[in-house]
This record gives sequence, structure tokens and C-alpha cells, in this order.
Amino acid sequence: MFLAWNELKHAKLRYGMMTMIIILIAWLVFILSGLGNGLSTLSAATLKNFDAQYAVYEETAGSKFTKSMLSEELIEEIKQQKGVDNVAAFGSSTISVGKTKSKDAADKEDVALIGLEPDTYIMPKIIEGKSISTANKKGVVINDTLKKAGYKIGDTLLVSNATLELTVVGFVKNETFNHLPSAFVVMDTWRDYQFAAPGSDNGIKKPVQTFFLQGEDLDTASLDHSITGVETVTKKEAINGMPGYTAENGTIMMMLAFCIVISAFIIAVFFYVITMQKTQQFGVMKAIGASNGFIGRAIVSQVILLSVFGIGIGVLLTYVTAMILPENMPFSLDPTLVTIYALVLLVIALLSSIISVRQIVKIDPLTALGRVE
Amino acid sequence: MAVLKLYGISKSYQEGANTVNALQQADLEVQAGELIAIIGPSGSGKSTLLSIAGALLKPSEGQVMINGINLATLTEKELAKFRLREIGFILQTSNLIPYLKIVDQLILVKKMSGKVSKDDRDFASRLLTDLGLADKLKKMPHELSGGERQRVAIARAFMNNSNLILADEPTASLDSKRAIEVVELLSQEAKKRGKAAVMVTHDERMLPLCDHVYRMEDGILTKQS
Repeated sequence: MFLAWNELKHAKLRYGMMTMIIILIAWLVFILSGLGNGLSTLSAATLKNFDAQYAVYEETAGSKFTKSMLSEELIEEIKQQKGVDNVAAFGSSTISVGKTKSKDAADKEDVALIGLEPDTYIMPKIIEGKSISTANKKGVVINDTLKKAGYKIGDTLLVSNATLELTVVGFVKNETFNHLPSAFVVMDTWRDYQFAAPGSDNGIKKPVQTFFLQGEDLDTASLDHSITGVETVTKKEAINGMPGYTAENGTIMMMLAFCIVISAFIIAVFFYVITMQKTQQFGVMKAIGASNGFIGRAIVSQVILLSVFGIGIGVLLTYVTAMILPENMPFSLDPTLVTIYALVLLVIALLSSIISVRQIVKIDPLTALGRVE
Repeated sequence: MAVLKLYGISKSYQEGANTVNALQQADLEVQAGELIAIIGPSGSGKSTLLSIAGALLKPSEGQVMINGINLATLTEKELAKFRLREIGFILQTSNLIPYLKIVDQLILVKKMSGKVSKDDRDFASRLLTDLGLADKLKKMPHELSGGERQRVAIARAFMNNSNLILADEPTASLDSKRAIEVVELLSQEAKKRGKAAVMVTHDERMLPLCDHVYRMEDGILTKQS
């Protein structure tokens, strides 16, 4: 630390530039992670909020809600299965709503209409107003982001291209589905919209799209076997089946991976070059009696100092950025993720300094006895 | 008491198909409190001899004894520790660490072996004061003159209180006035502290200041005075 710190103080410009690079890379990594987190929340927050472990789809649906249709009557049968603690039915559609009959797109909001039974465990917590109930089938609770579009409790929502009219009874928080704010209604109301056209329910009684199951260590194969025409997947697979979810996450993850690999190389090359420049100096220290460990520790502590400082500033800048970004940007910082990426960057920096440390072992103290003869 | 003893030291290098004999059967003994000089033209093998005496290079033949310890019995790792404890090196002028204050140049030597105590700091200041650097403790190497830098290098060599001081061309880039000053200091310190000092030089002006002079020519070491 003694050597490391004194040298940092001495060569401020050189190490300052290096720290700048680490700051910028860390900043980019955290912004990407915020964007990735924001996008995946936007895409599937409602699903993620469900305290469920498994989802049951129609066998041929390939974990896609839109392709799946099951009868709600299956619920009793599923409940009988071993390992199933709780079952809730689920249906979803994309609709446009407006407060007036205007056809102008600016007067309408796209929302994800979610149908569920109000007394089941997947019903989200109401932050304002009251919940939906089978007694008032026209009631809807909507995500609080719609407040900004001017919606409030008591408003009537006219659903475009349908006769359906809904009344806002309450608000929920952080509920988005398919990149749209969620609107929760009772299952019957959702059915009225989704299967308005005669025969569109394929003759299935009380159709729903999916069942969400609570239960630990469920044997999905035996469930699929004992109930005909269903496929059970984990909630994670259900989320991955959301349109665009894996593509979005894949893109962000790829950029993150590249950022981290690039940072590894930059740090490795920088310290390698600096170490090579100081061969003579290290030779002198070795001749005096410094061990490889002594010099190695000096380099590693420099890397730690620069990285911790750089990553720390990067985190600060990211939170500042988060405040400046427009609110409708899908950007959400998860402190756990930020911590994980910070640690990953630090570990990568340390690993890349090993190349320089290895170089020290090779320096011959004899180089110190430079010949002027 | 002889601090450094070299018996029948030979060193040969393989250079292409030829074998170069850098050193042939060199014998040398240095007593505590003595400053000896090894003088000779370029390429005569004096730096090789110093490297061998300083445990930086292994001889092809012969034995090196420092404080009664045979260097051949030590491993690579033990040699680094041994150099740190038993040998003080004075290298050419530019070999201070550029980003450390003068007093820290000496503290560094202590850091290498572990903790630095208050006594160590006092000892460092005292050494530097003895060498006339009392007002330069907090200066950086580039703020010092060549002669001052070399005095710092001498202080650093004495820092670990090792019994053997090896100096490699300590006056190489100094004018004669400063060169004589530096060697006088080296000689005084060696006597005062009872250290054995060996100086490799090609500067004839320094010889009167040394207790013994050896001449090296084509790898053969002969005692002159």
C-alpha cells in the first residue's frame, strides 16, 4: 500500500486517466444493467410479482399466453395434484382505453388487460382505492403510472373497438405486462372482452389462458401426464416466454459481457505496460532484497485502489443519471444487481493484474547493476 | 573478522559456440571496517564479481561466504531475504525510487522486511543527517543533485544495518569533487559502523581513499595494495 499510494500521488495524470476509463466503463455497465432491469420489469413485472412457482399452459401453446386456452374448470383437478398448494387462473389481452369516444391516438392509452379472480393469491396489492370484486364486474384497478396520463379513481374507461366500459376503482404499483401498464379486472369481464366474438372460445367452458401454481418441488411431468392437454413450466420459463423478453435481455447481457471483457483487457494492458516500464525500478528493489510478493502486493493494491475508486464514482454517476433520465425511460436500478456488477468488475480488474504480477517474477535483480562501463 | 570471503570464484558464460571466462579463480577477503576498491577496465569482470558477492549471480566454481554463511546452501527465496538483511547495495545514481520522498527511500527497505517502528524512522533521519541531508528529508529525488542522490543511496545501503556494503560505480555520474566527497563518506561510515565495503570503480582518483585496491583484468583479480 505504501508504494502503491505514493506512486498514485506522484503520477496523478497517468493514473487519473486510467481511473477515468474505469469510471466510464463502470458507468456504462451500471447504466446497461439499469436499462436491462427496467426493460425486463416493463416486460414482465406483473408475472414476476406473482408469488407462484409454476405455470400451466395448453399443451400446444409453447409457453405463450396468447396461444393457450384452458377451461377454468380444470382448477379443481389441478388442486388435487400432489405438491400443488394453490392455483389461480390468469388471462391477458392488449387493449386501448380512453376517457372519451375520441378516435385520436393521443387520447388513448394502451394497457394490458389482465383477468383474474379477485380473491386469489396473484391479485396484486392495492395502493389506493379498493380492489376489484365479482360484485362490481365493471371495476378495474390500474397501474399508478396511468395517473400521469390523467386517470383517477371513478373515471370511466372506454375500451376501443369494443362495447366494454370499465370504471377505475383503485391503483396498483409496479405492475406492467408486455411493456404496458397492467389493468386488472375480474375474469368474467376479461372473458367478455377476449371472447366477444361468438365461437372464439372454441367451445371451451369458462376459458382462461393459464393457471399459476404455488408449490415446492412439483413433479411437472406427472402433472402433465395426469391431466390431458396441459404443459407445466416453471415461472422463469413462463417469463422467458413473454414476447421479446429473451431478445431484450440477451441484447443487454451481450453488451454487458463485452463491456466487462473490454475493461479486463484495458486494465490488464495498462498495468502490463506500466510494469514493463518499471522493470529497472523493480530490479533495484529486488537487488535490495524485495520479494516478488512485496512488489506484487504493491501492484495489486494499486489495482484495488483505482478500481474501487473508479467503480464507486461510476455508481454515483449512475444514480445521478437515473435522476436525470426522463421518467418514461425503462430504467430501474436494482441495488443487488449494481452490487453484483461492481464486484464482478473488481474481480475482473484483479484477475487482469495477475499478468503484471507474473511479469515481476521474471525480472532479474541483476538489471539493477546497470553498466556504465 | 572477514565479512566477505570469496574462494576460487570462476564464472563462465556460453556465448554462441564460445565459452567466455568472465572470472578466473578470484580470491578476496574483506574485513569489517574496511573499504576496498576493485578497479579495472570495461568488461574486465568486476561487475560480475560484485554480482556474485552480492548474491545476485551464482558462480560457476568457488565459494562465497558472507558472515560465515555459504551462499550455495541458500534457496532463491532465502537469497532475497539474505540480500535484504545482510547486504547493502549502493547502485548508480539514478536508482532511487522516483516517487518516494528521501526519508521514505530508507523506510522502504524496512517495509520490505515487515513493520516499520518508530526507532527505524529515527534511525533513517539520523543516517541522512550524518550524511548531510538533514534538510532534504521531505524532498523528492529529482529535487536533489547527483551527489546528494548518491548520498541517499549510501544511507539506504546502511539502513538495514547489514555488515556488507557493495557499491557499483557509485561515482559514475559525479564530478571529481562530489565523487571524492561521496567515497569519503562511504569510507567514514564503513569505519564508524564497522562494515565491510566493496566498491567497484574505474575511477583511479578514488583509490587513495580505500584501504586496499584490487585490479581486475580479463577476469583475473590481483591485489595491488
